[in-house]
Amino acid sequence: MARYAMVIDLDRCTGCRACMQACKVENNTPMANFWMYVFRFEEGEYPDTHVWFMPRPCMHCDNAPCAKVCPVGARYKRADGLVATDWDRCIGCRYCEVACPYGVNYFNWKKPSKNYYLDWQDEDVVQVTGGAVPPYRNPDLDAPYGEERRRTAGGGRLKGVIEKCTFCVQRVERGLQPACVENCPLFALHFGDLDDPNSTVSQLLRRKPSFRLLEELGTEPRVYYVGGHPPSTESRQIEEVKARV
Amino acid sequence: MRISRRTFLKGSAAASGGLLASRFLFGELDTLMAQQPSSQQGEEWIPTACWIGKQDCGMLARRIDGRVVRLVGHPAHPRNRGTLCPKGVAQIMALYDPNRVKTPLIRTNEKGVPGQWRQATWDEALTLVGEKIREVRERDPRLLLWQKGRSKGKAFYDEAFVKASGATRLHHGAFCSDAGYRAGEYTVGISGVLHPDFRHTRYLLAWGWNLTNAGGNQLCWITWPQQLIQAKERGMKLVAIDPRLRGAGHFADEWLPIRPATDLALALALCHLLIAQGTIDREYLTKYTNAPFLIGEDGFFLRREDKELVWDLASNAPRPYDSPGIEPALEGEYVVDGAPAKPAFQAFKEHVAQYTPEWAAEVCGVPADAIERVARELGESARIGSTIVIDGVAVPYRPVAIMAYHMAQQELGFQAVRAMLLVMMLLGAIGAAGGQRLDVGPWKIHENFEKLDKIEIKDPPYNIYLKDSMFFPINSNNSAIVAKVMQNPEKYGVDYVPEVIIVHMNNPLVAFASQPDLIEGYKKFKFVVVIDPWLSKTADLFADVVLPAATLEKYEGPLSATDQYVDATALRIPVMSPLFQSRGDIEIYLDLCEKAGILFGEGGYLHHLNEALKLKDEYKLPLDRKPTVREIFDRWAKSAGITDGVAYFEKNGVTDSKPVPATKLYGYVTDPPFGGVRHRLYGESLGRYREEMRRRGVAETYWRDYTPFPTWRKPTMEESPPEYDLYLISYKLIEFKQSRSSQIPLLAELAPREWVEINPRTARARGINDGDEVWVESHNAVTGETRRVRTIARYREGIRPDTVGMPHHYGEAIRHPWTAGQGPTPNSLFFTGEGYVANTADQSFHVKVRVYK
Repeated sequence: MARYAMVIDLDRCTGCRACMQACKVENNTPMANFWMYVFRFEEGEYPDTHVWFMPRPCMHCDNAPCAKVCPVGARYKRADGLVATDWDRCIGCRYCEVACPYGVNYFNWKKPSKNYYLDWQDEDVVQVTGGAVPPYRNPDLDAPYGEERRRTAGGGRLKGVIEKCTFCVQRVERGLQPACVENCPLFALHFGDLDDPNSTVSQLLRRKPSFRLLEELGTEPRVYYVGGHPPSTESRQIEEVKARV
Repeated sequence: MRISRRTFLKGSAAASGGLLASRFLFGELDTLMAQQPSSQQGEEWIPTACWIGKQDCGMLARRIDGRVVRLVGHPAHPRNRGTLCPKGVAQIMALYDPNRVKTPLIRTNEKGVPGQWRQATWDEALTLVGEKIREVRERDPRLLLWQKGRSKGKAFYDEAFVKASGATRLHHGAFCSDAGYRAGEYTVGISGVLHPDFRHTRYLLAWGWNLTNAGGNQLCWITWPQQLIQAKERGMKLVAIDPRLRGAGHFADEWLPIRPATDLALALALCHLLIAQGTIDREYLTKYTNAPFLIGEDGFFLRREDKELVWDLASNAPRPYDSPGIEPALEGEYVVDGAPAKPAFQAFKEHVAQYTPEWAAEVCGVPADAIERVARELGESARIGSTIVIDGVAVPYRPVAIMAYHMAQQELGFQAVRAMLLVMMLLGAIGAAGGQRLDVGPWKIHENFEKLDKIEIKDPPYNIYLKDSMFFPINSNNSAIVAKVMQNPEKYGVDYVPEVIIVHMNNPLVAFASQPDLIEGYKKFKFVVVIDPWLSKTADLFADVVLPAATLEKYEGPLSATDQYVDATALRIPVMSPLFQSRGDIEIYLDLCEKAGILFGEGGYLHHLNEALKLKDEYKLPLDRKPTVREIFDRWAKSAGITDGVAYFEKNGVTDSKPVPATKLYGYVTDPPFGGVRHRLYGESLGRYREEMRRRGVAETYWRDYTPFPTWRKPTMEESPPEYDLYLISYKLIEFKQSRSSQIPLLAELAPREWVEINPRTARARGINDGDEVWVESHNAVTGETRRVRTIARYREGIRPDTVGMPHHYGEAIRHPWTAGQGPTPNSLFFTGEGYVANTADQSFHVKVRVYK
């Protein structure tokens, strides 16, 4: 069994947010849901200013606080390290959202089919899409995944359930990289098996010093950062993406 | 056309090659456990090319049962290597957008206000447009104008259509850096602005390079940052020269926050210091530039039998520059035929003596010691005299360069870029390994090297963009100037007002500086045709007819895929049938030409298409039959030696990459070196134009910057009253491309509305909090006109306290639910016309403003 992890090279990240878009299209997430989010930070005072960028997916913690508090076992840790959400079982209590120190859970406040940016029921569009919402709806998301055969892929399922980054389970199980990793224009995102010494992630972690976010909480994230530094109270977020209301 | 992803990747692995694989993907892609079947039933991968940006990144469309579900980067495309920027990914939503123009539209209300439309058939709309074109051409072909944004198929549009119709072509301009192109063409003969040889550069001045958001020279993004990252990881130092830090971000090793519009002063000070330090490449200057040419007291070269003279130190006498065995002097003063003369280099040295680092520090707002350090580092890093061996060829090695592009869009833009080129010329870095490059392709001399040197200024009447005029002899044909002329033709010696304009994938009302002038200008057209997938602001206010173009559902090209080190060609392939009633642009042109009676026969569109596509005789299009677009590309591909024709591209998208050999890449080692031209340290013809303009009595504002050497003066905007105490600059965001993607909801969500970036200490002094609504009010120092917009203030420490910045994409560019309320465009604050354009008729995105609550 592989031990999956993501390594993010902050020296390479240009903060372009293409990973956010690749995630949104691949996983069909509704409006205002960013399973992958890229922070743009400014630090210091003019002219001693520093600008940097930090992608933030779900940390897929080994000691996942979200899984511990889930009263129905909808949120669980897989043997390969992915932290999954079974939306068939989720009751929408949002305990996971409260427990997670990284803010990666997104609750479907609205009926997802009404929350995909535009009205896709336009009759000319329907002729092409057959009524799919969103029109680029990804059929891979419907299958059950993992040894447990549970439906854990993709977003925009039901009103009143929690969704988050799955590490693109539908891709990983087909031998592909998560969508954000595959698309990164600067090759700043890496994904692979920590147990394989030759994997890119293992090599990177050997080559460069790394940190994890809020390591002191003991969550044991599976997302490692190399290059750069952790954000601090001195890091001011700029060009923040807020939900459109 | 049907290929599986797996086969595809296997096939392209060899082509995509070593460069990035070794750097970025050390080791193979991780093998992940496959537990599921690998693909859906009915899955296909269609290779195509991005439609939004100008570098036409290669894409693969994942299609399931005929519906496109993902766009991913084409792994074998040299420009993006399997990746896409946010726009590339998000345009899948644009494909299906029900707010696209679905059918041809004919206006039913008056112009100048949001349009009301009736849907028309293609036949009705094309007949109407065709008749207008026919009628106006018969009366006076000058009355027909044609204008396009980023060209995606130059042969079909800019060449064949313009020639067949006789339309006057307006340059796409918009946010493009024409003044920089003209400076490059005029000074070293290459059409382009400035970028490094990333594989070898070790010291880079990122001069206004918004590298995390925008392309840099010529390309729109991914290629340059990919090459930059490799250079940085190899140890290249990057000095960001920019009023804002946000563009260079953490990639800047040093930030020189320069005052806007003072780039010329800084470049002149660097020239001063390089000469004072003695870090100049005398051999290059002597052999490959006009630096040794003798200048007489009148400012013109001394010539004998049309050959420029140099002072030969060996014989101590003046000799034609190409005499064998001579030893030309760069410095000193001589007497020729009883009159004093000196080499251009001597004159330059005297000219830049005034531009000390202390002087530049005052003008540019950058410490003198920082300027001195940069000059020293440039001089040391240039390793003048060294060579390295590339492809078995010894190439002079000067691993220093500048990346600059949009900073050229300022009043002194032409001369600022010329001065930056002179910095690199002093170092001998033009066309050297690791040195200065200008064009993304091979080292190729542009016809403008000669043309811009031999302009004959004509008597009025002039054409609508003032070609060969006494106002702007070097002329980039910019829509903002055209709008100015349209409003007042007599003033500029123009004796007609064009009546019909075809606006193709261009949105001049939003894209050019001085929106109010554009609106006034476009009001004058009697008939406006817009070809666009969207209802642009230009269409909404002024179109009589809108013809809906497809986005990714069309054949288009041929598209260059070069990343400067390898060469390849790509095509845009339809990912599905055109949605709604939209049609591919080329199809529209074929039909339009047929309706206008200019499709068939000698001199018709098909005839010019044969020329423009350089089709060999056996593949030429018959001139009496309308071909399909696919057939045209099939003939083109076969004529170009691709035996499978267009089917090759339908399967692969892009040709195999071929390395560009050193002897094509580096100017020093082309045959002959630098294409046989001498680079112009001294712009003799600029002085000639200046004299001619003065003689004809035009105002000083037109001729004062036509100086043989770049010469500093204060920009006109500095004459605004002191209460306009801030500089406004505009900039690009990575989320958008000009106004072309601000309606894509996935992108608009990331950056939903306009803002003005302001330094907190500047803001606090005015009682402005982060997030407050403020007025930004601009002032025209020439006319006294003021303009203002309301927007949101955003605190940024990474901007000069005397400067504010606004992203340039907004202004409800397109009528769409997601653009409503996106806020003003800074182009409604900038001006055009005297004092606010470069001397080459290029626009400026600089103005003095005040900001208040």
